[in-house]
Amino acid sequence: MSQRPSPFLDPGAHSAQNELGILQLRRDHLIPAVLSANTDSDYAEGKVENTRFGSFPHSTLLNQPWGTQILASVVDTGSRGKSKKRKRERDDDGQETPEPKKEVVKDEIVKAATATSGFVHLVPPTPETWTLCLPHRTQVVYTPDYSYILQRLRVRPGDHIVEAGAGSGSFTHAAARAVFNGYQEGDNNANGLLDTNGPEQAAYPKKRRRRMGKVYSYEFHAPRATQLKAEIEEHGLSDIVTITNRDVYEDGFCLGSQEELNTSPDADVIFLDLPAPWLALKHLTRSPPSAAVVKSVTASSDSPTPDNDPSLSTSQPQPTSKPFRSPLNPKKPIRICTFSPCIEQVTKTVSAMRSLGWLEIGMAEVQSKRLEVRRERIGLQEEGLRGANPSAATVAEAVQRLRDVEDRAKAFHGLQKEKQEEVFRKAEAKKKGLNLDADGNVKAGKGGKKMIEGLPPSKQDRLDRAKRELENRNVYKEGRLVHRTEPELKTHTSYLVFAVLPREWTKEDEERARRGWG
Amino acid sequence: MHSHLRPNTHIALRLPSGILKILEIIPNTNISIGKYGTFPANLLLGRPYYLTFEISDKEDGKSKPELRVVPAAELHAEALGNDHATPAESRDEPPDGGVEFDIVGEDGEVIMRSNRLTVDDPSRQTLSMDEIEELKKAGAGSGKEIIAKIMASHMAIDEKTSFSLAKYTLRKSRKYLKRFTALPLDVGLLSEYVIEKESYKIMELREESLGLIGSWSNVHCADASRVLTAEDGISQIGGGRWLVVDDTGGLVTAALAEKMGILYPLEEDEEEVSEAEDGPQYNEQGEQAPTAEATARPQSDAQQTSSDTIMADANQTPNSKSSDPPPRPRKPPRQHIPQMSKQTNTLTVLHSNNQPNLSLLKYFGFDTGNPVSSHPLYHHLKSISWLQFMSPHDDPGYVEPEVVPDEVLATMKSSRRGNYYKKRRRWERTSRVIDETRRGGFDGLIVASAMEPTSILKECVPLLRGGGRVVVYSANVEPLVELSDYYSKERRAAYVARQENFPPTNGKQAKAEPQETNGVSADDEEEDFPVNPTLLLAPSLQTARARQWQVLPGRTHPMMTSRGGAEGYLFTATRVLPVEGKVEARGTFRGKKRKTGPDTAVLA
Repeated sequence: MSQRPSPFLDPGAHSAQNELGILQLRRDHLIPAVLSANTDSDYAEGKVENTRFGSFPHSTLLNQPWGTQILASVVDTGSRGKSKKRKRERDDDGQETPEPKKEVVKDEIVKAATATSGFVHLVPPTPETWTLCLPHRTQVVYTPDYSYILQRLRVRPGDHIVEAGAGSGSFTHAAARAVFNGYQEGDNNANGLLDTNGPEQAAYPKKRRRRMGKVYSYEFHAPRATQLKAEIEEHGLSDIVTITNRDVYEDGFCLGSQEELNTSPDADVIFLDLPAPWLALKHLTRSPPSAAVVKSVTASSDSPTPDNDPSLSTSQPQPTSKPFRSPLNPKKPIRICTFSPCIEQVTKTVSAMRSLGWLEIGMAEVQSKRLEVRRERIGLQEEGLRGANPSAATVAEAVQRLRDVEDRAKAFHGLQKEKQEEVFRKAEAKKKGLNLDADGNVKAGKGGKKMIEGLPPSKQDRLDRAKRELENRNVYKEGRLVHRTEPELKTHTSYLVFAVLPREWTKEDEERARRGWG
Repeated sequence: MHSHLRPNTHIALRLPSGILKILEIIPNTNISIGKYGTFPANLLLGRPYYLTFEISDKEDGKSKPELRVVPAAELHAEALGNDHATPAESRDEPPDGGVEFDIVGEDGEVIMRSNRLTVDDPSRQTLSMDEIEELKKAGAGSGKEIIAKIMASHMAIDEKTSFSLAKYTLRKSRKYLKRFTALPLDVGLLSEYVIEKESYKIMELREESLGLIGSWSNVHCADASRVLTAEDGISQIGGGRWLVVDDTGGLVTAALAEKMGILYPLEEDEEEVSEAEDGPQYNEQGEQAPTAEATARPQSDAQQTSSDTIMADANQTPNSKSSDPPPRPRKPPRQHIPQMSKQTNTLTVLHSNNQPNLSLLKYFGFDTGNPVSSHPLYHHLKSISWLQFMSPHDDPGYVEPEVVPDEVLATMKSSRRGNYYKKRRRWERTSRVIDETRRGGFDGLIVASAMEPTSILKECVPLLRGGGRVVVYSANVEPLVELSDYYSKERRAAYVARQENFPPTNGKQAKAEPQETNGVSADDEEEDFPVNPTLLLAPSLQTARARQWQVLPGRTHPMMTSRGGAEGYLFTATRVLPVEGKVEARGTFRGKKRKTGPDTAVLA
């Protein structure tokens, strides 16, 4: 009750103790950190995030307005390992330990001194920033995909969404944001809201509560499920997200105790990121599917993939042995999306969907790209400069350069010739006697100087000049503005199969509607 | 919502030709879908969405038109063609091999035909146009008979490959089947509908772009969010408020509102119909508006209201905040919450005309010209013109109308008194929205506008909270390329260097334009730095396109054609609060120490 709202949904004005904050170093380089003023650390400054742009003690990150540029601090990263070695051996969970250990608590953390360079930006977590920095466990569903999926699935606040194959949790976070529509009533006061009509709300019986948005997330891999659960807890999303370690091919989606899975997640929306979505589909029906249908659905999975086989053989008697409970919301059309990288998976999924009465089946793949924008500087003035093309920008410039080269060559050859002539002259003078010596020397020197003055600049001169001139140039607005696809391109993520299961409509329903509407 | 078709709402019908038809479904009227037929709306009301109905009317020998729900199996069987007639049947032989050769079984039976014998000649269809017309007039059960006849009179139907036969059948079905599918009109479908007809009106905004806008703007339901006061004691921060510049006729606003849970009107009869314990309650939030703002009714009235609400009968939705139209007979008058008065979970639309153009919201039951107070957007959607935003005192709406003392008011005619209150309320609304907007602290800025993006961002980015998201959509890439350039690393560095030399006197919250200093004219400054490039972090440009596929057994491939036109690009960035003074970057991206000064390129 006294729990603060999740920083993903309502980060507040400032970063706060024990909440996730994201250090943004560069556009795609983000570091998640649960901020803590905890003194339990190897560092004198308390907990520290070390990055390539410097060290950032948590004390400098806490209680800062979100979005603040944080300057790096001077942290002695060298000596800590040696002095604290004993302690590190005793418990090996590193510096990210959330709970303080009394015996090693220092009285006070040293105030960090600001370093001369280096900074990061402290930004509040969002599903997008989290997707960029989450610990990868499986293939991540990236923003272009999940945004399209959530859009196509019409996920709205208050919906219940079933996600199977939680994986790294990027979709989980995005889905939680999409379905979130507040906390259960009663929690409102804890959020610091001045609730003038509080008593009125409390007066409503529980069943009259509005439907709260929920994410029911299933993960087959137990350690991954545990880790995701811990993350969800840490991110303050556990009111919204329920994580279950489950083989959904086998056991379906209903919750409850192990023997009796009879609590329906009441799902409106389903997202399956599974290797064999068609094996899960038989559990996602409104009424128990007939044996023939189940057979055909599972038969379509007759693939040599070994991990499918066990569930195949055991899943047959399952629907009959237990009372059927549909995990779907009976009042609404159900939307589904399956996320599969291979076309064969799609074919099987789609044929299973057809057998089970799904409609509006469609498949799409999202092709997204990011563009980089830059200024392309071309021209001879760029010679020797970084990030520019030093070739001639125009024909005129090229011609001028050729002329210059020619002129220099001419001058050079002229000089050579003169020198040679002088040598000859000297030699001749030597033969004749030594009288004209001085005169000849002066002449040659004069002629040479004259030549060099009119000469186009040498390469070294040009480079020096380009460097000098750069100081006074506004490079940021020079050159042609161009854009292109960024070098790293995701050409294929997965195929997205979408479908809709309408409400069940019986003769009685039709009769009732007919009476109702004359 | 969207559990079944409700009266007086907009719905979409998809016709066999694939064309969408949007209409308002009004009880006791007839719905005509052109050549496919006409039927009474009452046959559709109360039925669930996504069902396909078949019309059988007079022509089919029925006294009144009837609708038959076409079962899913039948629909699939038709889509798949004869080979896969029963969807439940397991397919033993995967269709292997191409279509190039006849595949003949061991007994000589043709399993799969090639197109070797195909003759491209329209005369192979022996039925003439007139004859088909005749058939249609004679009326044959829901078009199926016509199709059967047409197929039967095709001379070479046996020569067709199974694929081409399936295609032929499908084509004929599209033309003659008297069917339609009832779809809920939501934002995705609306964008699909508008883009086919008048794509320029919504800036060719495709669904994938709408999704990206929603994600990158971090828009979500934020009823429970806190509105906090910034350190200066005036500015506010957060509260789930988003600033929108929308030239798409309201499509962007609708998409955002959908994600905030304020687009669809509360469905009051939801529970009556469902009769379930946990009757789904969507859309409306439990949070009750703080009554600090001026309310039109006296406090005692409000008191009475809340006690009445507790006693309210089960049919009443607990959270509906206002009850003006349509009034229920037994419902006591509710406390009046003024328009645009919500403090959290709001959208503030900046518009360049006197009134915002949000005409597409009419499909969701909200008319900006004549808003209904029961619609959530009534309280959550705020609109403010650029004039009101930039210089409120030039707007007549910001000038307070004179206060008439109560005793004088009592002597007034009721119509004048009504006018007086109307004026007061309008002024209260306008000034409240203006003041709140200018206090800033928005969680995000979403722009889809024909205006120059820099001019918008220059004014709006300072109003965002730290960590707030900026999303600018443009149909074409060029405006965004220019915008990205104004936030480029090099320009930012130059801006910072310039500020170090001539530090601005205004704080970081203010629009950070350095004053005219040391011969650097303000014009130059304006031209080179129309926006403060240090206010946005990680500006990036992206685009996405969803490629649709056909998935039929043995015939899976991307669609042969799709819409071209504008690609649709998105500029995204995060608002940050730069530290004042000199900041030096660290890092070894290029093997050299790099200052944040102008990209001090040196000799390679």
